[in-house]
Amino acid sequence: MLSITSHQCITRWAVKTKSILLITTLLDLFSASQVAFSGVYANMRMVHILTSVVGTKCELNVKNGVIYEGVFKTYGPECDLVLDAAHRKSPEPSMGPRREDIVESIIFKSSDVVVVHFKDVDLNYAKKDNFTDSAVSARLNGEHKEKDLEPWDGGDQHASGSLESLDTDLSNGWDPDDMFKYNEETYGVKSTYDSSLSSYTVPLERDNSEEFLKREARAAQLAEEIEASAAYKARVALENDERSEEEKYTAVVRETHTLSREHKYIPPSQRNREPGLSWGTGRQNSPRLVQCNPGPPAPRAGPHDYNIPGVDQRIVNGGAHPWPSRCPSPSSRPPSRYQSGPTTSLPPRAATPTRPPFRPPSRPLRPPSHPSTHGSPAPLSTVPKHLSLEGPPRMSPKSQRTPRTHRVASCRGGGASGADFMSQGASVEVSTPVPARSSPSGGTWSSVVSGGELSHRPRSPRQNSMGGTASGPSLSSPQAGSVTADSVNMSTTVTSPTTASPAPIVAAIPLVEAKESRIQETRQNSPSSNKENMKPMESSPSINRPVSKGLPSIAPDHRKQIDNLKKFSVDFRLQPSSNPDPVFETTVTKPPRDSGEKPKEQPKDKNTDLTGPKVCSESPSSDEPVTAVAAAPAGSKPNTPSPSPSASALSAQPEQKRGPDVTSQGVQTSLPAAKSDKDDKEEKKDPVPESIKKSTLNPNAKEFNPRAFCTPPKPATTPTLPRPQGQPSPSIVVQQPPAMYGQTMCFPQMYPLTPVSPGVQVIPHMTVSQSKPYRPVPNMPQQRPDQHHPPGTSTMMHPATAAGPPIVAPSPAYSTQYFTCSPQQFASQPLVQQMPHYQSQAQHVFSPVLQGSARMITPPTHGQPSLVSSSTTQYGEQTHTMYAAYVESTTPSFFSAPIPQQYPHPSATLHPHPQHPQPSATPTGQAQQGAQHGGSHAAPSPVQHPQHQVAAAAAAAAAQALHLGNPPQQQMYTALAPTPPSMTPGPNPQSPQASFPSAQQAVYIHAPQVQHGYNPNHMAHVQQAHMQSGMVPAHHGTPSHPPVMLMATQPTAGPQPPLPQGTLNPIPVSSTTHFSYMTHPQGKASMFSPDAVSCTELNTLKPYSRQTLFDNTITFTKNCSFALVLFVLFQYHLISSSCRGVLASYN
Amino acid sequence: MATPGPGEYFSIGSHVSCLTCLGQRLQGEVIAFDYQTKMLTLKCTPSSGKPNLSDVVLVNLAYVSDVDVITDCTGTPPPLASLNFNKLTNRARAEKEDKLSQAYAISAGVSPEGQQLFQTIHKTIKECKWQEKNIVVMDDVVITPPYRVDNCRGKEGSALGHVRKIVEKHLRDLESQKSVQRAQQTQKDSALSA
Repeated sequence: MLSITSHQCITRWAVKTKSILLITTLLDLFSASQVAFSGVYANMRMVHILTSVVGTKCELNVKNGVIYEGVFKTYGPECDLVLDAAHRKSPEPSMGPRREDIVESIIFKSSDVVVVHFKDVDLNYAKKDNFTDSAVSARLNGEHKEKDLEPWDGGDQHASGSLESLDTDLSNGWDPDDMFKYNEETYGVKSTYDSSLSSYTVPLERDNSEEFLKREARAAQLAEEIEASAAYKARVALENDERSEEEKYTAVVRETHTLSREHKYIPPSQRNREPGLSWGTGRQNSPRLVQCNPGPPAPRAGPHDYNIPGVDQRIVNGGAHPWPSRCPSPSSRPPSRYQSGPTTSLPPRAATPTRPPFRPPSRPLRPPSHPSTHGSPAPLSTVPKHLSLEGPPRMSPKSQRTPRTHRVASCRGGGASGADFMSQGASVEVSTPVPARSSPSGGTWSSVVSGGELSHRPRSPRQNSMGGTASGPSLSSPQAGSVTADSVNMSTTVTSPTTASPAPIVAAIPLVEAKESRIQETRQNSPSSNKENMKPMESSPSINRPVSKGLPSIAPDHRKQIDNLKKFSVDFRLQPSSNPDPVFETTVTKPPRDSGEKPKEQPKDKNTDLTGPKVCSESPSSDEPVTAVAAAPAGSKPNTPSPSPSASALSAQPEQKRGPDVTSQGVQTSLPAAKSDKDDKEEKKDPVPESIKKSTLNPNAKEFNPRAFCTPPKPATTPTLPRPQGQPSPSIVVQQPPAMYGQTMCFPQMYPLTPVSPGVQVIPHMTVSQSKPYRPVPNMPQQRPDQHHPPGTSTMMHPATAAGPPIVAPSPAYSTQYFTCSPQQFASQPLVQQMPHYQSQAQHVFSPVLQGSARMITPPTHGQPSLVSSSTTQYGEQTHTMYAAYVESTTPSFFSAPIPQQYPHPSATLHPHPQHPQPSATPTGQAQQGAQHGGSHAAPSPVQHPQHQVAAAAAAAAAQALHLGNPPQQQMYTALAPTPPSMTPGPNPQSPQASFPSAQQAVYIHAPQVQHGYNPNHMAHVQQAHMQSGMVPAHHGTPSHPPVMLMATQPTAGPQPPLPQGTLNPIPVSSTTHFSYMTHPQGKASMFSPDAVSCTELNTLKPYSRQTLFDNTITFTKNCSFALVLFVLFQYHLISSSCRGVLASYN
Repeated sequence: MATPGPGEYFSIGSHVSCLTCLGQRLQGEVIAFDYQTKMLTLKCTPSSGKPNLSDVVLVNLAYVSDVDVITDCTGTPPPLASLNFNKLTNRARAEKEDKLSQAYAISAGVSPEGQQLFQTIHKTIKECKWQEKNIVVMDDVVITPPYRVDNCRGKEGSALGHVRKIVEKHLRDLESQKSVQRAQQTQKDSALSA
């Protein structure tokens, strides 16, 4: 056994070698996972211990008593042992092995081994953890007693307080002088430091010379300007923000609210701001959302806010991209809106104003504002009062609030999108708050008490923006939140009214009114909101300043213009572009639009304002006719109760448009009329509205969606009708709606709506188109179209953002709206509206394209954001970049937001109705308003989930419609479609509202777009097509992708189908021509619609750009961004196209 | 031959004593046991008495009797640390080379004392070699049999003094070691006799 031949040893050695390798691997494996090893290898401990003794000398006793000594080399699975340099131990202890005695290596079978003795082994030798405490201590040599602790004696000087002094020593290290002194004393180093820095600069020699004084004054001025700039404040705020990162971005701030009427979860901050009112809750919700993002910003802005609300918000935004962009955009937008809005909007809401006064405080006291808003809505939609009173509060608060908040939050979370949402939300909220605020701010706008609401709305955006920028941090977030909340509330309130009006018409009216009121409110709110932002009441001053610039300084329009020019020359540009979208989508957009539109519209509006009373009277008188118009919605609604939703939506849209216009126009007087109209409408609608309200109230989103879907179809039909028929749209419209339905998915609803909407729409459209020129009835229609466009945009946006359902719903609304719009647009307004639209829409890169696209996007949020961004320089840059990302995120929010906003808008629109007709010029304004509304809606939408969905759907529909509409034809369609959606929404309490608003907005958008499309189309169909294509995809993509897609597809399909129809239907000559172009170029309905939209957008952009130098620059940038966005969206288009294909098949 | 102890299994950490078939008494702490191969690994008190070292005994229970578990450990065995195989393989190679080197010297007819001294010096100064029966350290110092301190020769200097100290210490340790061995031897004898 022991006599092993060398040969055998070698053989075994080889085996052993292998085993070593195995062992090493095994050990590694053991630690990680237990692998099934055979024999000893399966025994981890044995493996470990044997491995740890490798390389040590050992004596191996074999069973026959012989002892071998060698270096343990390795072992095998059967515990065979290998000794290197082994030798048979001689009995002579002292004698070492001889060279010849040593064997290279010997393998011992375990069966032969009795004992293996490893002497003096360091078991920790191979441990890898040589630096652990145990490892180190294990290797310590010598004794290691624990040392006795000795008390430290720092000496007398340090005996007491020295350590404390270290903690309490506030000095940040050595004083330079101390250092110099120490070095000089210790090292003899003399410093050459000269505090005057004479080596680097020259001391200023003061004298009393005139030149010096001038320069000094100039320097002071420049310093003041710089320090007053939002950017400066924002940066300073960032630098001086003492809040911790946690506070800024993470902390969940729960402010104790005085009131929590809504029961709904209201962010503490919001609650405080808006005590008690359901609206307040809604607002609060939005605030919450805002807060989420803004939360940190708000604090930041807080300080800054006081200085410059807008700046602060921006700053805040800076903190959170969303906010900054949002804030700026809102601010910019709001201003424009405010400017234009205040005058026009205020009047309309004058009736509502009663409540609006409350709003001013609302922000700080959002609850109040909400109440006020609620109240305002109710007042606004006096008719709806019943409904509004009941329905609005319930529905609006819940649906709006919750959805808005959610969306807002989501939006905010989205960042850019969030910003958009925020802005939108803010705008919306602002608008709502405005009413309450309006009373305070109303002072400035006081003339526009009623307008106050409108002004508030615009302001709210402004405030938002302002607040965002100015009110900044605390306010911004709060404002944004509050504003959004307010706006939301407003929107919600409005919506609620609308919803309450539920009767589609009523709702629509309410919506319109709400929109108006919102606008006014926003305007007012803006001040108030600003105040609130700054301080509930106090904020107004600071805010007022910015806002006041626009508002106080002069008419809303002036204000807006001023604001835009001054504050947001850049932003303003952006705003204009953005405004369209925002307007459609959110009130925020309004400012831009207002600015853009207002200038144009303002005259009109002013005229209207002048006429405002007239309008009011007219509107009242016209109620019957207009009912057709403004009334159209209402009338249509009454006409077709079931369809009423669509009709109401249409009417609502028109009304909303009107409302905005009116508000913008400062149709204070008109407000009453509008109110009366609204009331009438509401009354008419009441029956239906109630049901609708109910439905909307509870199921808001869901119901709306269906309806929205239905509406989308209508839009589609309308689009076709509008383009071809132009005025004849009714019949055509009807046809289109079906197409829309098919496309949209919501055929059932769509159809019902479409039928009604057609008639209504036709009237509206007709009236609208005519109305523009002719303020009376025609104006109403025109306004409606404008409104429709905005709504459409918003709706479009919503759809895009919203999921399939929303999309569907939106599409109907859009279709209806679009239809109405398209006719109107096609008619006289097209050019005018287009111009305004272009400006406003064009302002936003997206907006232009978006006008369609933005609208499409629902952009309300997007649009607003984008708009905002565009409006604000920052946005332009940021937003654009942001857009793609935002679009998606925002779109959803937009959807949601748009819807809520839309709701509010509807109410606003209701108010406007009377005025709207007057504002024919305002159509753009309306469109803007609509956009604003859309924006506001968007903002609200976040809060109101249900509504959001609906709104989203509506928005999506609107967006689609927009997309569709974007191509001039499509826009028209979309516009038409939007109205139907509104109609559809009507049934659902919230959803109706949302749909209405959205629809209206969409319609507005469409109208603008359509109008734009007309001009633009001619101008550059190709471009538009491109834009649209890009835009459309983006829209689709941005919104809920799937939904959006669907929506987009539907809208597109709707539009496209409509386009063909439109082509067939020569109703709107201009439109038809455009449509024909559009359709032809587009060739393919689905594809075209997007393209067309893009084209329209492009066209719109061009016109806008042309109109406004700023816009041009902005638009260019926007275009670039749009292009990007479009690319992004393109994918969506693909999807949407597929959807469209499906829709087409349906059709 | 096999004399299964009280149990078929030995838990880690238990203290076990046994008597091999060769009449060798083993006692130690169980650090590993493989039931399949009947191999038991014990950690015993180090033969050198150094605290950080220990003797490891691998016993084939097939050739052991009188297995007695002195104390049974029920606790959870300590975790196994990962091992540095490079270190182990290097040690194995070094040990082998040392042994071969030593064998070479032995084959040269060097006395065990000389061999031990060589090993001791080698531990401290690697640069040493056999030159016939003389140990050459650093090419400066030559130690000639019988390898006493006085046998260290070379240029006076630090090297010579250092080597002398080593040799002196070696011899001193050797004496003490011998005494220990004697004591151990006596113990063994007594144990065996007992």
